[in-house]
Amino acid sequence: MHIPDGFLSTQVWAALDVLAAPAVGLAVRKTRREFDEGRIPLLGVMGAFVFAAQMINFPVGIGTSGHLVGGALLAYVLGWPAASVVMTAILAIQALVFQDGGILALGANITNMAIVGVLAGYLPFHLWGGGGATARKIAIFAGGFTSVLVSALLALVQLGLSGVPMPAPVAGISVGLFVVSALLEGAITLAVVQALETINPGFVRTARGSHSRGAAIVLATAVFLAAVGVIFASTHPDGLEQLAINAGISQRATNLFATPFADYEAGFLQSAWLRKAAAGLAGLALVCAACIGFGRFAARKRSA
Amino acid sequence: MHHAVIERWSQGQSFLHRRDARAKAAALLFLLIAIATGPGLPAAAGSVYFAILVLGFAAARVPVLGALARAAAVLPFSLAFAAIAAVSGDPARAAILVGKSYLSALAVLLLVATTPLPKLLRGFEGIGVPRFLLMVGQFVYRYLFVIAAQAASMRLAASCRGGFGKSGSAHETRFRAAAGALAVLFARSYGAAENIHRSMLSRGFEGHFHLLRNPRFGPADWTFLLSSAAVAVVVRGI
Repeated sequence: MHIPDGFLSTQVWAALDVLAAPAVGLAVRKTRREFDEGRIPLLGVMGAFVFAAQMINFPVGIGTSGHLVGGALLAYVLGWPAASVVMTAILAIQALVFQDGGILALGANITNMAIVGVLAGYLPFHLWGGGGATARKIAIFAGGFTSVLVSALLALVQLGLSGVPMPAPVAGISVGLFVVSALLEGAITLAVVQALETINPGFVRTARGSHSRGAAIVLATAVFLAAVGVIFASTHPDGLEQLAINAGISQRATNLFATPFADYEAGFLQSAWLRKAAAGLAGLALVCAACIGFGRFAARKRSA
Repeated sequence: MHHAVIERWSQGQSFLHRRDARAKAAALLFLLIAIATGPGLPAAAGSVYFAILVLGFAAARVPVLGALARAAAVLPFSLAFAAIAAVSGDPARAAILVGKSYLSALAVLLLVATTPLPKLLRGFEGIGVPRFLLMVGQFVYRYLFVIAAQAASMRLAASCRGGFGKSGSAHETRFRAAAGALAVLFARSYGAAENIHRSMLSRGFEGHFHLLRNPRFGPADWTFLLSSAAVAVVVRGI
């Protein structure tokens, strides 16, 4: 889903432009370590392949067909940094030449598809791709699936945060369609990888397996849940809150401690959007810090 | 084809074509920000933006109707969300979504219709975009239509053999056939990339393209940029 200009609020597109710029810079730096400038044609032609791959239709029944999106496949072939760079180049060309996606919204589209989408596609392969044949197949399928689902959900969240009207039935139908597209992407990615390995096993990278599996899984889950959660949790109280309201407890409840991010908002900021975003990021950073701390503690215990 | 038309437009000779790519890119950014950050899109402001862009196409001797039709590529997405907004009881929001997205697409089209892509990418390099990324973009654009033509001929050949036919073989077989076709296309693209790499190395490719003439940001470019920015700010205030 390429978001055009005019849809996102200034806070959303500006924040995502600011976020995408250093992320792409990092991906470029990592890619240059592996691919020298003389091998740029390979990256460019792989990008052109992803464009052209959209012309090959995959039958999915009831007279409809789908096509490869390609973020996860690129990551399996080129590694995630190079895949991010190629996807960024594709998105820029699409915005400039084909009016598919906006220029101010380029940061949002890059974040959704070239950064988070590629990472979400690569992570299952990185974690489980080095296992047995079945685990590898599941990892490849899961990579294609999460790549498309996470990108689409993020776009939906950004549109919702920008105030684009999104009644609950429409959001529900959209999520359903995204799940179907994601399942299709997983199936196509798996079928293409299998066909590629028949032609030349060297095309697809060997997954090495992660050294920090726990932290990676927690991080991936946190990002995914944050994306999905924002859609559903922003306007409705959570289960415990609802229970407390129903039981009449909430009126009598008092806070024992002053919480810095009460109601998931950083109260010291003026803008409502900034309050929510800052509180969310701070929460995610705290979870990550706790994971890293716990991981280091566990590693020290193991080596002791 | 789409790119051939835009490339032909971008090779023209006009006041807009002669402006430095950096000046045009910066002017586009001012215009896009003015459109995007406006609290809404009053009919007067929208009409003035539209008139300015149409005048721009006319001044650049780019077919106006053709440009208006090409910018409509953004409308399927916009109209879908506009319909949701209208049904949700917010027709004003629906009009803003369609208006802002269409005007923004038209503005981007004016930039690419008056600036050849190599010059545009060199302009982006001048404002700090990593050269490595721009080179990848340039190669994607250069080979996009070569690989797409290959995909089209493979699809035609497969259709002639009944490969992607609507009846006959089972879904799973046709699904696998499509996956095989894509894998072959991938292998061909990969092989082509290696051949391109070797032939470019043999011609002394050092990792970047050279323009025949280095871009120069002159007084006319400053005038164009500052007046575009001023117009964008004034129209935003209408």
